[in-house]
Amino acid sequence: MTSRRIFRSLPAVALVAAGAIVLAGCTPADGDAAATGDPVTGGTLVYASGDAEPSCLDPHVGGNYPQALIAGQFLESLVSLDESGEVIPWLATEWTTSEDGLTWDFTLREDVSFTDGTPFDAEAVKANVEHLKDPATQSSTGYLALGKVDTVEVVSDTVARFHLSVPDSALLESLSQPWTAIESPTGIARGMDENCVAPVGTGPFIVDEWIPQDHVSLVRNDDYTTGPADRAHDGAAYLDGITWRFIPDSASRYAALQAGEVDIIDNAQPDTLDQASKSGTLVEIDAPRPGAANRLELNSGQPPFDDIRVREAFIRAADVNDGIDSLFFGTADRSYSVLSSVEQLAYSDDSLFDTDLDEANALLDEAGWTERDSRGIRSKDGVPLTLRFPVSTNQSIPAEQSLFEQVQATAKEAGFDVQLSPVDLSSWYGALAAHEYELVSAPYTKVGPDVLRILYHSDSITPAPSGYFANLAQLDDADLDALLTAAASESDPDERADLYEQAQQIILGGFYALPLYDQQNHFLHSPGLEGVRAMPTVSTPTFADAWLAD
Amino acid sequence: MSDLELSNRAVAGRSLPRPPRIGTVLALAFVAFLAVATFAPGLLQTTDPDAIAPRDAFEPPSWAHWFGTDESGRDVYSRVVEGTAASLLIGVSATAIGLALGLLLGGLAGLGGRVLDFAVGRVNEVLFAFPGILLALLIIVLWGPGPVTATIAVGLSTAPGYARIIRGELVRVRTSSYVEAARVLGHGRARVLVRHILPNALAPLVVLATLGIGQAVVWASALSYLGLGAQPPAAEWGAMLSAGRIYITTAWWLTVFPGLMIVVTTITTTMLGRTLAARDGSRR
Amino acid sequence: MPRSRVLRRVALRLAGAAFVLWAVATLTFFAIHLVPGDPAQAILGGPGSQASQEALDEVRADYGLDQPLVVQYGAMLGRLVTGDLGDSYALKTPVAELIGGQILGTLALAALALVVAWVLAVGLALWSTSAGRIGRAIAGGLELTAAALPHFWLATVLIAVFSTSLGWLPPVSNDAASGLVLPVITLAVPLAGFLAQLMRERMLEALEQPFAVSAAARGETAAGLRLRHALRHAALPAINLSGWAVGYLISGAVVVETIFARPGLGRTLLRATELRDVPVVVGVVLVVALVYVLMTLATDVVSRFADPRIAREEAPA
Repeated sequence: MTSRRIFRSLPAVALVAAGAIVLAGCTPADGDAAATGDPVTGGTLVYASGDAEPSCLDPHVGGNYPQALIAGQFLESLVSLDESGEVIPWLATEWTTSEDGLTWDFTLREDVSFTDGTPFDAEAVKANVEHLKDPATQSSTGYLALGKVDTVEVVSDTVARFHLSVPDSALLESLSQPWTAIESPTGIARGMDENCVAPVGTGPFIVDEWIPQDHVSLVRNDDYTTGPADRAHDGAAYLDGITWRFIPDSASRYAALQAGEVDIIDNAQPDTLDQASKSGTLVEIDAPRPGAANRLELNSGQPPFDDIRVREAFIRAADVNDGIDSLFFGTADRSYSVLSSVEQLAYSDDSLFDTDLDEANALLDEAGWTERDSRGIRSKDGVPLTLRFPVSTNQSIPAEQSLFEQVQATAKEAGFDVQLSPVDLSSWYGALAAHEYELVSAPYTKVGPDVLRILYHSDSITPAPSGYFANLAQLDDADLDALLTAAASESDPDERADLYEQAQQIILGGFYALPLYDQQNHFLHSPGLEGVRAMPTVSTPTFADAWLAD
Repeated sequence: MSDLELSNRAVAGRSLPRPPRIGTVLALAFVAFLAVATFAPGLLQTTDPDAIAPRDAFEPPSWAHWFGTDESGRDVYSRVVEGTAASLLIGVSATAIGLALGLLLGGLAGLGGRVLDFAVGRVNEVLFAFPGILLALLIIVLWGPGPVTATIAVGLSTAPGYARIIRGELVRVRTSSYVEAARVLGHGRARVLVRHILPNALAPLVVLATLGIGQAVVWASALSYLGLGAQPPAAEWGAMLSAGRIYITTAWWLTVFPGLMIVVTTITTTMLGRTLAARDGSRR
Repeated sequence: MPRSRVLRRVALRLAGAAFVLWAVATLTFFAIHLVPGDPAQAILGGPGSQASQEALDEVRADYGLDQPLVVQYGAMLGRLVTGDLGDSYALKTPVAELIGGQILGTLALAALALVVAWVLAVGLALWSTSAGRIGRAIAGGLELTAAALPHFWLATVLIAVFSTSLGWLPPVSNDAASGLVLPVITLAVPLAGFLAQLMRERMLEALEQPFAVSAAARGETAAGLRLRHALRHAALPAINLSGWAVGYLISGAVVVETIFARPGLGRTLLRATELRDVPVVVGVVLVVALVYVLMTLATDVVSRFADPRIAREEAPA
């Protein structure tokens, strides 16, 4: 627990030489595309997504990552982030906040229209915030992100004033996400059924047609003039359009890219990344998602993990480093932070996560788990040391599921009986809602460290009517609550950073989570595709500046 | 309809020449291997099937690891042996469920009157209208995924096929010349049923059951592929097959060996079933 | 057979078909209502939704979920009669429309696979009955192996060989016909294993029959005998299996459509299962039952034409 370090600068732990070569062999095609040739206009890009097909293309409704991936092609946000994580202008050119932090004025770009002709103005921003806050919209992510915004006042056509109930240091980060992107008020007024099929924005492409289970057709917005401040070129996109396909099977997706049927794939699996880097014919984009790192949450709300000694024993026993190396072929680095490495305020402490089987055994003995059965499983007062671990097969890739089997095997040596059950998403949520878990891995994507409040504030233990709650570690600590609440309202950057560091020290030091690696987000594309980059916000690719060289 | 009831004669292979003797010997040897693997896997294993060694992952077959190692460095041969019990349990229980239900329905149809026959026929149609994975998915919606759900689903979906075959056999035997003869000779109904009809009608079930076991394992593996099957680290063949699939171009041994076990088990049990049926036929 | 008996039989058959559809709808409806989940939750964003109590109450009223089960059942039957399958919870669009957009792809896939499976099975059966004991043993092994191949594994091998290594065929479906080749083969091979087994045994049986022996005595060639007599004899049970085979193929389509990224009923069903989108699950199950029932009726008619003896052997089941 010494100093705050950004995870990227960590020395690679036990990284085999082969892994290092693999990393060096990947050539991210971020930005700087001009070096490889002049842009070519025309052509239709074929994108193959391994994520579930959204049931609604409007990211205001619900609000998940698959929606963000495609919505980024036709919707734009008020602000964006640059490579270093600084907030930069997009549809809003500048913003000011009042002394008390309760009022924010956003100055908007002039002469911008949505692709249906509706003008983009303060009235439109107001309509979008109201749309997000309307229960009938069924928004989840965007609704939570704007939880502190009360109303939007139209000061003039180009100035929108946000009135907040409490100061919100995460407001700009929240507004940079695709889930709060700005849609045409005329489009919204058509009603949910129509707006879900073809939301209207100001982005570089327009939704043309959606054939369910097959693809979404996007066509170029010829009148496109906007774009985040760090965009590579002005004006309309080079591509005529995008065919957005859904190919759920990872092996088929990779084969389709190899065969030239598609130009770019997402969710590239570790073994195919390894193959691709060896063959050298495909280009990789490694864009870890922001928010939380992938981690195992230890449910501290019930036995046996309500005892810190048992939590520590588990973390001492569960060995994941070798597994991450071999299963991910060097494409994922071990993390020692609950926050993603792209988060500036990520605090990391590898010294807490040394594995030591003797120490684990000693801790369990001390905690009273002294009896052992024939399989070596410990028990206390006749209750076996069982850890139920529901795994969502929709969210955990095969390599991660194999890693969990290795966690199961290594934890068993200390006497833990880890019961892995791979289940579909509905059953998984059901098990969590019923508190039938001791371990769980739940990804969470959000821009900024405020994700800590969502995941670890005791308020997040209270379930929604569906039983859903975000604080899966069931961490209930008054000091931590106070730190997270203060940080969320703190406008001074240094103060804020300090508060978040203290908060992360409590989370890591209490052994509430076992960090694994960043939320993996690898894209592979053919060398003919150039000028594509992942947005520094939620790491979705953007094709506003991309072209097909062939 | 006389469709599936005909197929039973096909699988029973009455008209087949007896399988070559050497084949029978090999089949018996393999069954012995399966039996040991099921009840005393430790005798055949070279190492602990669940012992991980991430640094030794993806090693091709060698003297140390006959079938290579998997993504966690576990010994594939020892896991295949370990998985015998779980796989056969799925296969045998699913087949047992299917046969039990099939016997009940087929028996009612074949031995009851015309009305009962018609009614069971319709029930059968309803069961047929929920083919394989559809039924499994429906059951998963109801009770959630898992090995038990998968076994029940596979068992239920095979039941109507068995029911038709059993009914067909019963009708065929009931109207055959030797049963007619027994009746003419004045034997009682119950005696004719127990002594003549049942033994002859149920003989093909042996063959059906042996065929069904391999099929059930294959169907259960499809559910594993869809993420709705077995419980790790259980080394069940179908689960191994679906887990190793993504490495098929780089580590073929992860799928080929469990796959071979399924195929060889199916072939072996079928061959033995035919041999039994052939012996049974010649005894008649 | 007198005309009235034929009509009676036809009426009975149609009534039976209607009964099957009603029973499937009823079974699915009541089974689904045993599901522990709350349909209102499924409507409001499915698993992990954070819908408020007010929103839940509103949805329950809108969808009639607050009505007694019997009322809901009656309403469903009423809708079904008019061809209305209700609205999808997840997509909020009519299920009939959704299925209408997906069914052709699956039926085309299943029909082509059925044809290919037949061709393969007939070929294998003809060859193996003319080959000796060894040939028959090999054919038997091939059939059992083919029948034991899981679709997902076969598909992966085919993609690895024909797309990635040889580059002959696309690994995922596309607008061209070439995109259908691998999915069709994947579905057809295991089915061909079953059919070939069935046909070979029947052909051997037929060749021992008196009519075959007398035909041979009349100077019929071995090949002619096989093609003209034995094959026709062997085809009948396989034709009768077509209803079952189509069900088997649609069920295999769940896996095949996922791997080859083809739109279709199978993928629709899998997704609806994961989201607990009850109206879509019920809709797909009903439509597949309808296809099965129609297929069974059709094979009845076909086999009656192919072999008039069936009318005499006819049994209700």
